[in-house]
This record gives sequence, structure tokens and C-alpha cells, in this order.
Amino acid sequence: MLRIEHLTKSFGEKIAVNDLSLHIAPGEIYGFIGHNGAGKTTTLKSVVGIQNFDAGEITIGGVSLKQDPIGCKKMLAYIPDNPDIYEFMTGIKYLNFIADIFGVEANTRRERIKEYADRFELTADLAQPVSAYSHGMKQKLAIISAWLHEPRLIVMDEPFVGLDPKASFLLKEMMREVCRGGGAIFFSTHVLEVAEKLCDKVAIIKQGSLIRSGTMDEVRGDESLENVFLELEAEAEA
Amino acid sequence: MLKTLIKKQFTELFRTYFYDQKKNKARSKLSVIAWFVFFITIMCGVLGGMFVSLSVSLCRGLMAADMSWMYFAVLGLLALCLGLFGSVFNTYSGLYLAKDNDLLLSMPIPIRLIMASRIVSVYLLGLMYCSVVFLPAMIVYWINAQLSFATVAGPLVMYAVISVFVLILSCSLGWVVAKISLKLKNRSFITVFVSLLFIGVYYFFYFKAQTMIQNLLANASEYGEKIRGSAYIVYLFGRIGEADPAVSAGFVAAAALLFLLIWRLLTRGFVDVATAAAPVTKTRYKEEYIKRTSVSAALLRKEFGRFTASPNYMLNCGMGILSLTAAGIVLLVKGQALLAPVQGLLAEFNGALPVMLCAVSCMLVSMNDMATPSVSLEGKSIWIAQLLPVTAWQVLKAKLNVQLILTAVPTVFCNACALIVLRIPVAESLMYMLTPLVYALFSALLGLTLGLKMPNLSWTNETVPIKQAGNILIALFSGWGYALLVGGAYLILGALLGPVPYLILVCAMTVAASFFLFRWLKTKGSEIYASL
Repeated sequence: MLRIEHLTKSFGEKIAVNDLSLHIAPGEIYGFIGHNGAGKTTTLKSVVGIQNFDAGEITIGGVSLKQDPIGCKKMLAYIPDNPDIYEFMTGIKYLNFIADIFGVEANTRRERIKEYADRFELTADLAQPVSAYSHGMKQKLAIISAWLHEPRLIVMDEPFVGLDPKASFLLKEMMREVCRGGGAIFFSTHVLEVAEKLCDKVAIIKQGSLIRSGTMDEVRGDESLENVFLELEAEAEA
Repeated sequence: MLKTLIKKQFTELFRTYFYDQKKNKARSKLSVIAWFVFFITIMCGVLGGMFVSLSVSLCRGLMAADMSWMYFAVLGLLALCLGLFGSVFNTYSGLYLAKDNDLLLSMPIPIRLIMASRIVSVYLLGLMYCSVVFLPAMIVYWINAQLSFATVAGPLVMYAVISVFVLILSCSLGWVVAKISLKLKNRSFITVFVSLLFIGVYYFFYFKAQTMIQNLLANASEYGEKIRGSAYIVYLFGRIGEADPAVSAGFVAAAALLFLLIWRLLTRGFVDVATAAAPVTKTRYKEEYIKRTSVSAALLRKEFGRFTASPNYMLNCGMGILSLTAAGIVLLVKGQALLAPVQGLLAEFNGALPVMLCAVSCMLVSMNDMATPSVSLEGKSIWIAQLLPVTAWQVLKAKLNVQLILTAVPTVFCNACALIVLRIPVAESLMYMLTPLVYALFSALLGLTLGLKMPNLSWTNETVPIKQAGNILIALFSGWGYALLVGGAYLILGALLGPVPYLILVCAMTVAASFFLFRWLKTKGSEIYASL
């Protein structure tokens, strides 16, 4: 579903991502772990095509992001770490805007908006302007908009931040549903317990370079993911 | 702490001048100097120039009649009006709606310091506008008067008093708007309506002022007596410029007292106003039939939504809509009476009247510049447009179309009204109609180009990209320059060609420039947008 080959991205003299390669298959939930400033967000932004990269290749569903960015974007959805959504729109207008852009049919979008907004208990607030939403409500709206066009790949940057426990649980369920339907999830998180319970595969990044990746069992062995992560961090520093 | 806060305000206010967001680095010293020289040239050269001639025409006559106080009263009141007009629309948002309110209020910063740093911004904006009138007035006075301590100090004291009065009035109105806003539902449109009323009153007096000043010069002593009799405060106000110590001390004391009052008013209620959520009436969502629209329609609707959601945006970047409509109505109602003297003045230039009206129409068109800040206004939500499966050009086209639609419709109306009054031949009529429309296209393309060349996505107050950005200034004044060029060149050379060939030439050159900008926007501009 997603192939990242030798991805490199620099900001001036600082190398944010260095020769990173990852493969995510359909049906996989792939966790991306690293400390602050490790290069997670840069990688995610490059994958979803909102940031150019210096070298490497990214393909989504076999389509090259560089050669056909629009084709790739049609297959994916992205939820950033801070959901800065158009504050001048109401929730429903934003969802309709996204649905119009992705060409979601009127009946289908109505059903999906109802289903997801009901699940996240946001239906009553859809007529409110986004400017009146709390952080968590904006996050829920961003999630609904991401699911609206049934993307094959969903990329999320710290998706659980700001969500209440019920919404977090729902999101995890929805992530699993996507994978059961043949889609893939690639998300970054600092919450290692979540990654441990939710992910099929995990990648650990340090100073822009991949220091370990694989299935959860391959990465952690007999230890907890937290211990492995801290050990790898220490090794990389040494 | 205050110094740090003011520095932060200034950093934001002058960010475009010091920082090149496209290259993500600070500008070179040379570039910073060039930017400031450009800004000062525009303010002093273009706006100040207008008031230099007014000062010159008033100064000698009134000084000779020993009525310098009237000279200072007239120009002082003008400075007060312009200062207020220039700053008042941003006071409310500048004082209360900054995005760093929560951050600053959460820090151990006394509210009076937060307010003081913001008041400095309001003061500077007001000072800038009133300086445009009063600096030339002072210089012209000093040239004509015998220099002494009194003749130098008097105008300087008056300048300071005016700037403080502008601040007081601006802050008072900002506070009133803030209080009203907390209770209003359709704030955007009501704010725009009230502001337009204010603008209407301003322009009513502005246009009357021309006649009033002429009358004033002709009957200076008579008016002088009348002012002393029925508007004694105006006489006293003018006396500050003549360095009357008692009067000056009185006005300085009054300014200080009023400032203290407004200061108390602003600081007392700051937290309530700044942290109050918009008066959202809980509108429950009712599911209704939704029609699917095309991608371009969705993008266009989004851009229109952005424009109509902000009174600040509508007032500062959409004044052309109102001006063109009003100009059309005025031409229909009083066209003949207004145009007859102009026609007389231009009698020696072959067919100059339609060309001059064309130039005026272009100037009004240039008052619409909503495409220019539209890129910066995406702010932190730019990721949405970049993530969507649309090309950057589709997004830019929507921004362009908003300006084209909102400009073309009132332009056609205004020109149609003018044609009814002008009664010119068909070919001339056609070119008269076409030229401002072609310019509207060029203006929108240029505005968007400037928006992409000088983006600012990290603003904390939307006034910054809407009103205080360098690209807005260039967009506005390039429109004025274009109009002056079209009108001026005709008087110098165009009259030899005749109006129709001249306007064809103007259109051809504008279309060529538009084509160049269009190509740039579609290629390089789109690349820039995608990588912002």
C-alpha cells in the first residue's frame, strides 16, 4: 500500500529524515515511534504530499507520489497533530467541502456523516462554526472528514492527543475496521502502550534515521515496547 | 517586560519587512532598507503629496490674514479624521482578537502591559495616518513662518496632541465595537454595515471639505469670527499650533485625562472581552438534502465563505464593490452636473473625458484586493488545501475568481451608468467598458502574485495579512499608479491617437502583462503555493 524508499529531507543544514525506507502492506496498522524532533512529522508530511522531499521515492497503491500526486492524494487521508481546520466554516460545511472535493455522492456522504458524527457524538454540533469547537471536537471533525471518502491509506500524526477515552476507543475500532477492509494505517504516537496494543508493525526513528522496524514481536522480543524504545534510544546516543 | 511585548508586536507588524517567508530567512539589511524606503515613499510621496498642495494653498493666505490658527485647525481636524479613519477599523481586532491572547494571559504578565503593547500598535497606525496630513502641514508652515521656539514648538505640540486624540477616539470606538460584538449574532455583516455608515459619513464630509476649504479661503475673516463665536473649541484647537501656552497646556491636560479614562476602561474589561467566546447561539444541526457540487464550485464557495466571514477582510479588501456601485449611482443621478466642469477642463484634449473616467474606474477597481491576502489568510490551515486531491492552480484559481466576480459585476454596473451619461460612440463605449474589466483581471492576477511572493502564514492577528502587509500596500498603490499612468499618458501622448486607439493600446498592454502573470501563477506560483 505504501512504499517509502530512501526518503531524505533536509531543512538547511539539518537533516530531518535520512535515507528512510518503510513498506506498509494492505491491512496493516503501522506505528511510527520516536522522540520529539526525530523526523516523524516530516516523514508523514512527505508521505501525504504536503511537503517536498529531497531524495527517495514514495508510492501509494503503486502510484508514485512525485509523478501523480493527485492520484495518490485521492487514495489517502491525513490527520495532523494539530487540527487547524477552517474556522470560518461550520462543521457540516467543512465535511461537505471535503466530500465535494473527493466527489462523494450526496446519499453516501449523508449516510457516512450521520454514521461517524453519531459515533463521535458530534451530530448536534455540526451546525456550529468550527471556531466554537474545542480541540477534541476539531480532532473528531478531522477524523470524520478523513474517513468520509473511504481512503485506502490513512496517515495520522498523534491522533489520540486531545481525544476523550470514548473517542480514542472509537478511533482504534475504526482503524481496525479500515484494515479489515484492506486499507492501511500509518500513524505516529508517543503513547507506547497504544502502539503496543494496536499496531501490527512498528518503526522507531531517531534523528531522522530508522533504527528498528518490523512486526511488534520482532521489534520488542520478550520485552515491553517501552524498554526496547528506551534501550534503542540509549544505543543510538552512545 | 513591556519592551519585550512591544518588540513582539513590532516583530509581527513589520515581519514582512524583516523576514522573507518564502526563503525562510531574514532579509538582508539592504533589502530591509529598500522595503522601508519604498513604504515611506508611498506614504509620503503619494498620500503626503496630496496634503502638501493643500497646505501650500492654505498656509500663505491664512498667515497673511493673521489667522494661522485656522490653518492649524483645518489641517489638524483633517489629520484627526484621517488618523481615525486609518486606525479605527483595526482597533477592535488589534486590541482584543489577537491569537496569542491565551498564551499571554496564561503568563505572569500584568494585563496593563499586554494592553499597553497593543495600544502602541494602535497609536503607531493612527500616528502614521495623521502624519500624512500633519507633517506636510508643519513643514509648509515652517517654510513660510519665521522660525522661533514658538513657531517650531507649537505645531509639534499640536502634532502630539492630535496623535493622542486619534488614539483615544480609536480606542473608544474599538471598545464600543467590542462591547456590541459580544451581544450580536450576525457580527460580520453588522460590523461591515456600521463601518460602511462611518465611511459614508467620512466621505460625505471629505467631498464637502473641498468646497468648504475654498469658501474658507475666500471668506477667511468672516468664518474666523463665526468659528470663534459658535465653535470656540475649534479656534482653541488651532491656537495650539500658534503655541498659545495656556491653550496648549489645557489640551495636553485634556488629552492626558481622556487617555487615562480610556486606559482604565480598556484594562478593566480586557479579560472579559478578549476571552469571551463568540455569542454562539446553539444551532442544532438538522439533516437536510445536500447537493453534490463540483470541485471548482466547492473551492470557490470556500473562498467566498472566507471573505464574508471577516468584516476586516470585507472592509479592507472589498471597498471597490461599494465604491464602484456608489460611483455608478452618483453618475446616474448627478452625472451631467459633475462631468460638465471636468469636460470644460479637458476641452483641449481630444476625447479625454471617457479616458479619464476609465482611469478613475480602474482606480476604484484597485480598491478590491481580496486575492492578495488570500494566500496568507490560509494561515495554519493551509495543509488542508495542500492535502486535497486538487492542483495548486485549482486552489489559486478559486482565489482569483472571487476577486474577478466581486469586481467585474460592480465594474460593469458603474461603467454602464457612466455610458448612459456620457453618450459616446459605440467603439468608444466598447473600449470604455472593456478597459476597466481588463484591468480588473490584471489587478487580480497581480494581487495573487504578490500574495504568493510575500506570504505570511504565521500571523496571530488577521489584520496583519489583510492590512499591514507589504503586498497589500503594493497591490493598492500599483492600482493607483496604473490609473495615473492611463490618465496621465493620455494627456501627454494619447490625445494624438484619439481615445479608441489609445484604449486599445492600453488594453493590449494590460492583456500582455496579464498573460505573463497568468503563466507565472499557473507554473511557478502554483509550485510556490504547494510548497508553502
